[in-house]
Amino acid sequence: MTELILKSQLPLDGRSLNYPGITIEEITDQSLVSIAVPIDGAAELNAALQSAYGTERPAVGKCTNGSMDNAIFLGLSQDQFFIMFDDAKLNDKGGDPAALIRDSIGHAAYVVDQSDGWVMTRVSGDSCRAALERICPIDLHPAMFSTGNVARTVMEHLATIIVCQAPDTYILLSPRSSANSFLHALDTSAKNVA
Amino acid sequence: MDNSSQPQRLTGGMVDRKQALEFQFNGKSFTGHPGDTLASALLANGQRLVGRSFKYHRPRGIFTSGSEEPNALVQFRSGASHEPNTRATTTELYDGLTATSQNHRGSLNFDLMAVNDYISPMLSAGFYYKTFMWPKAFWEKVYEPIIRNAAGLGRLASEPDPDTYDKGFLHCDVLIIGGGPAGLSAALTAARSGARVILGDEDFEFGGRLLAETYEVDGKLGSEWVANAITELSAMDNVRIMRRTTIYGAYDHGIYGALERKTDHLASSGGKPRQVLWRIYSKRAILCAGSIERSIAFGNNDRPGVMLAGAVRSYVNRWAVTPGKKVAVFTNNDDGWRTAKDLADKGVDVTAIIDTRRDTSFEAPRDTKRVLGAHVVNTTGRLGLQSITLSDGQTILADCLAVSGGWNPNVHLTCHQRGRPVWSDTLAAFTPGSELPTGMIVAGAANGTLTLGQTLREAHEVAATVALDLGHIRSTGSPSTADDEPSAITAFWHVGESRNRAWVDLQNDVTTKDVKQSHQEGFRSVEHLKRYTTLGMATDQGKTANLLGLAIMAECTDQSIADTGTTIFRPPYTPVPIGALGGRARGKDFRPTRLTPSHEWAKAQGAIFIETGAWLRAQWFPKSGETHWRQSVDREVIQTRQSVGVCDVTTLGKIDVQGRDAAEFLNKIYANAFGKLQVGRVRYGLMLREDGIAMDDGTTARMSEHHFVMTTTTANAVPVFRHMEFCRQCLWPDLDVHLISTTEQWAQFAIAGPNSRKLLEHVVDDGVDLSNEAFPFMGCAEITVCGGVRARLFRISFSGELAFEIAVPARYGNSMMDVLMTAGKPYNVVPYGTEALGVMRIEKGHAAGNELSGQTTARDLGMGRMVSKKKDSIGSTLSERPELNRDDGYTLVGFVPVDRSKKLTSGAHFVAKNVAPTTANDQGYMTSVAFSPSLGHSIGLGFIERGADRTGDIVQAVNLLANEAVDVEVVSPHFYDPQGGRLRD
Repeated sequence: MTELILKSQLPLDGRSLNYPGITIEEITDQSLVSIAVPIDGAAELNAALQSAYGTERPAVGKCTNGSMDNAIFLGLSQDQFFIMFDDAKLNDKGGDPAALIRDSIGHAAYVVDQSDGWVMTRVSGDSCRAALERICPIDLHPAMFSTGNVARTVMEHLATIIVCQAPDTYILLSPRSSANSFLHALDTSAKNVA
Repeated sequence: MDNSSQPQRLTGGMVDRKQALEFQFNGKSFTGHPGDTLASALLANGQRLVGRSFKYHRPRGIFTSGSEEPNALVQFRSGASHEPNTRATTTELYDGLTATSQNHRGSLNFDLMAVNDYISPMLSAGFYYKTFMWPKAFWEKVYEPIIRNAAGLGRLASEPDPDTYDKGFLHCDVLIIGGGPAGLSAALTAARSGARVILGDEDFEFGGRLLAETYEVDGKLGSEWVANAITELSAMDNVRIMRRTTIYGAYDHGIYGALERKTDHLASSGGKPRQVLWRIYSKRAILCAGSIERSIAFGNNDRPGVMLAGAVRSYVNRWAVTPGKKVAVFTNNDDGWRTAKDLADKGVDVTAIIDTRRDTSFEAPRDTKRVLGAHVVNTTGRLGLQSITLSDGQTILADCLAVSGGWNPNVHLTCHQRGRPVWSDTLAAFTPGSELPTGMIVAGAANGTLTLGQTLREAHEVAATVALDLGHIRSTGSPSTADDEPSAITAFWHVGESRNRAWVDLQNDVTTKDVKQSHQEGFRSVEHLKRYTTLGMATDQGKTANLLGLAIMAECTDQSIADTGTTIFRPPYTPVPIGALGGRARGKDFRPTRLTPSHEWAKAQGAIFIETGAWLRAQWFPKSGETHWRQSVDREVIQTRQSVGVCDVTTLGKIDVQGRDAAEFLNKIYANAFGKLQVGRVRYGLMLREDGIAMDDGTTARMSEHHFVMTTTTANAVPVFRHMEFCRQCLWPDLDVHLISTTEQWAQFAIAGPNSRKLLEHVVDDGVDLSNEAFPFMGCAEITVCGGVRARLFRISFSGELAFEIAVPARYGNSMMDVLMTAGKPYNVVPYGTEALGVMRIEKGHAAGNELSGQTTARDLGMGRMVSKKKDSIGSTLSERPELNRDDGYTLVGFVPVDRSKKLTSGAHFVAKNVAPTTANDQGYMTSVAFSPSLGHSIGLGFIERGADRTGDIVQAVNLLANEAVDVEVVSPHFYDPQGGRLRD
């Protein structure tokens, strides 16, 4: 038995930044898993999701909420979506979020852990849309992108998934390796408008 | 009139007299008020001379009151913030503003370069082409530097721009371009319908010409109606009002470029971006850009004090400034008469009004000479207008001449997608053509609707139609009403009887004589006229000049203006600073940086990093005492080969492939077979492009029956993923296969060297058997490490040593590096970077990016037999093309210098010994070289004709760039452990 200990590190070390009307914070307590729908397996998967989470798989561009673990399902493409959920049930060491989802929905889908692949941030506040306007090419006006909408886009050359969680509250996911550049882009935008 | 500090200031206007603003022009202090532009404040202080002209260095003053200004270009601010060619007419005054005049040597009043004006006969259109032809060698070294020094407008600041800039994205249903009467009328209507509206105007006050005139709208003074409209629009949450914002270009699909000047009107930017460049996505755009007045060409019509009549009314009515104490008016239309009236109403002495028409019935103000059917033929006053001479011989005293040659609809943005304006005889002007940018509708003066009442109505109707079209059915009310002012015009372009030079394009110093000369010399098409004379090619794009030039050319060719045609406009409408186009992408912000999971650890070790795409990877880890990179790299290689080394290889692409048909899918993607790969085993795979050329290579591990993990090269991680998605979605949609990138999810480390197994035994949890029997070469497994952390272990080797790659969730990546170093301490473990990685793979003879260059085939790479013929796969068929299978084709082989002390160079070409290094003699090229610490000399990999049969041949490796040739011997590409015993142990 090894004596060596592995320490876990968040992409942004849990940093948060505050400006008048804008808060940028790293989401530190959620896991992310991709779920792919097998060919001819949509009905079975829907049934599994219904029984485990009380919801069906989300349409592309939409989110649905699950009944446990504060789960949000993000509809990203026709045969693939993400689930974001509280990781409280996972032990810190090696807890496998994909296995947890597999436990919930059986083998109705192909699941892949994505929790460490993305930096998860939340940008909120009265002025957050003004800040995001500087880097987000998609229209965030509530008439166009309201609570429960999700989109894949690009901000400052970085792939980004954006979710409107609540009015003036957005979840932004971007690749982990460029987390610092992503934070810098958000930070600069906030500073420029705050 | 306030005669104290601002002698030309009148009463009224839209300036805040309660507050005085100090500013400096050419080092001299002046005062103005909030609401002033630099131009209005200079005029208020009696400063008529503000600059020198481009070519002849003629004294020039303020000609207009807007962004069309050709003359009053100044250098704005000072030091690093200094900006040349800034229009004084649009520069908002603030306390402490500094500006200087430009384009003169010596003082503004006494410019040494004004000698050009005296030798002007030599400097007419085309003089460069004719004068500086001989001797040819003089052009670059002698003529051009002199001309460049003499010409030009302002000078750039030599220091880096201290300001920041930003960009952004906006979206709307209706974009309204211009906030004058038409724009406001359209905005009110569109906004009341419920549509999302963006209203942009380049000015710092909305209202356009309504601020410059004394018209009434809905029974109220125009400026009051404007204020009410803005109040109403500001209160609506579906409206975004953008002051100081120029919509400068119309692009595809209803996208517009806009420049918002955020802090140019403030003494300091306060750390915020100075300007923001917006990309506006609109469903419809209503162009309400108004119209621009044009001049009349007559002798010496460029003196300070000669201004457009509409500008004179702007200064008098909006800014309460008279541009002169004795003002004369020269007009060919009804507008000129309004100028005289407005001036007289403010108590300014109007000395004469000269109308080119004989039959007008307008009355002149009292004490104003009324001259009909006459022309101004000349003017006097070197540094500022003193008098004008009329065609009937009389001289009239005037320090300001207001000229009106009629109004041109501002069609600029209608041309941005090659729309051509059409001529209107009634208006004596070009109006928007029928081919407008998608979604654009033009309203008001820009559409040729030149009177106020009609403009308000038309803009309302256009906006109501647009709103309805977009599904907004809320009532929009009725339009505001106003009288239609007299606007009759009889076209008149230039005074033929003038003997003196008459300017057409003030900014580029083009005169009527230049246009005539262009005609005489055969440059008669409008496009040739433009290029030969430079008419309209200055920073103002000839907004006040183009039509005059065309009209004169039409006269010369005895054609109508409609037949003569017009040049068109391109974006930007007004100049956009390069800084704004760059936005925040400056220095390190140019692009994002990707960091490996162990970046922090490597940084703490003092690693030298290299950019590989967006990634920063550790290239080597110098130790104290090492003074050359080779020392570090050689040490890393030797220590790895002798004991064990660790390298972060996370950057390699990882693609998770799952599905019932995953194996079949991989069989089609890879040239070699994957269908029967056992669970728990890894296989090297080579994928081809459709055309049979090698695309990428890597290993793919079968984690379970329906689950594979593929690795790609770092550079091809994205292209391979994209290729596979295309295949999955478009080629074989019936296969049950699903992909997702896990490159970022897993931190992966190569542990290489004879002691790698021993090292890993300290890390893996109990029960993980790493023995050769339990976990042989090309094995893979899901395991746990360090007391339960899930990990993936692969027994693969890029170095040629006994080696493993271990992956842990990225959150543990940095710590994992530490753990591996700690576990490896007893074995003298070494971290190695990309350089040692490269050396070891060259020693081992593995192909990498240099060899997979997009020009090489499996056969070239010595892997022809891997292309399975038992199944179909992408590129398999086309790899059989005869040209790709020539007997004399390239093969990848190794090279060693005959004289082992010589260094090899990547990119060198092979030619036979004693043969000239020419293309005809070329036999191939070197792709990768390294100094091999294992062998003690330089080695290389490369492609050479018939390579497989040439072991032992000696050829030259020629590097023409350094003019050197090294004799090299053809050897096996596997320099190190060719039997592969080390990696299988």
